[in-house]
Amino acid sequence: MAESERRRRRSFFDIVSEYFEELEDWVSSLMEPFERPSWNERECSIEPLCNIFVGPTEVVVTADLPYAETNTIKVEPVSEDAIEITAKLRRPVSFHDFGITHRRGEFSAFKCQLRIPVPVDMEEMEIRFKRGILEVHLPRKRGYRIKV
Amino acid sequence: MAEIIRIIEKKPIPFGSLMLNGLPDVGLVGLIATSHIIGELDLNEVAYMDSDLLPPIVVLHEGLPHAPLRIFGDSNMLATISETAIPATGIYAVVRHLVKWGKEKNVKLMISVGGLPVPNRQDIAEPKVYGVGTTPELIKMLKEKEIEIVKEGFMVGPQALILRYCMEQGVPGIALLAQSFFNYPDPEAAAAVVKEIAKITGIQVDVSKLLEKGEEIRLKARDIMKRTQMEMAKMRKTQEYDLPLYV
Repeated sequence: MAESERRRRRSFFDIVSEYFEELEDWVSSLMEPFERPSWNERECSIEPLCNIFVGPTEVVVTADLPYAETNTIKVEPVSEDAIEITAKLRRPVSFHDFGITHRRGEFSAFKCQLRIPVPVDMEEMEIRFKRGILEVHLPRKRGYRIKV
Repeated sequence: MAEIIRIIEKKPIPFGSLMLNGLPDVGLVGLIATSHIIGELDLNEVAYMDSDLLPPIVVLHEGLPHAPLRIFGDSNMLATISETAIPATGIYAVVRHLVKWGKEKNVKLMISVGGLPVPNRQDIAEPKVYGVGTTPELIKMLKEKEIEIVKEGFMVGPQALILRYCMEQGVPGIALLAQSFFNYPDPEAAAAVVKEIAKITGIQVDVSKLLEKGEEIRLKARDIMKRTQMEMAKMRKTQEYDLPLYV
């Protein structure tokens, strides 16, 4: 089937969604050369695994923080659209602990900054920490309402 | 260009054994569970996969280079793990070859170990394990072992392909899937699935060390989890949350 015919049979939303997927793949391929380690020797920090879920009413950010000292976990807005997550580890960990002997470095904290992709109300932020997973709830800002 | 995949056998491979597959997927459940079983049963490396479809890497252990996708075993069991995320572009060929190799070795049961992502995983103290079987007899067997069956839904990724090729090649296959985090390493889910493997195989493996080392594993597994997540995104893994339509 010709490409134009195939495109005509798909819905507009399918085509837009495919374009976005292609764009996403293209952006990730561009980012590949800028991959960096998940640890920072200078700051003695480890970047945790994080995830951002954008829901209709809120944005939920989660981070996996094994070994984190619960009372040291901090989530702070660093700008209108970014937050910083930090937490001290219960004990420092080194490359040596993982059997790696050709690198030097000891890490005592988690640290990462995340950009929130939609406007949120930072002041209404709610946090919970369970099973080593930090969950940050940020209510979305309502910009305007269209009357029906 | 022809696909180049070879499984290089380093030791004699037993015929008619069980074969566990712990390829990286959600929560790295299969990889963590299978690695733990390999360690606890002291299984030896018996074969490895060489393929242009895998990243050009070796894994160093005790100073010696190893292929990232390796098969361990003894006279009763074979166990496959991959210490690198399998690229989405190569997953079909890699899994097809693995199942074909299993068939050549007359594997009596292919067990695919993995996770079933649930959004409220933090609130689950003991992850439940679900089963999938390639034949009605295997589903019956799973039910007899009190393993709930995934009746409807989608599976995406290595586990899905293992089942598909097992069906195609007539190899008896099941998947054991523990409720897990989607993109965080989940040793608790891995422990849950190890217990269910024991019910089916009769091979008891202590999970206390796995649970004790849970936080250490989560810290160590961050990088492979991140790379696995990137490949899962390419496989459209979130389709597992979709409802199938079969009217």
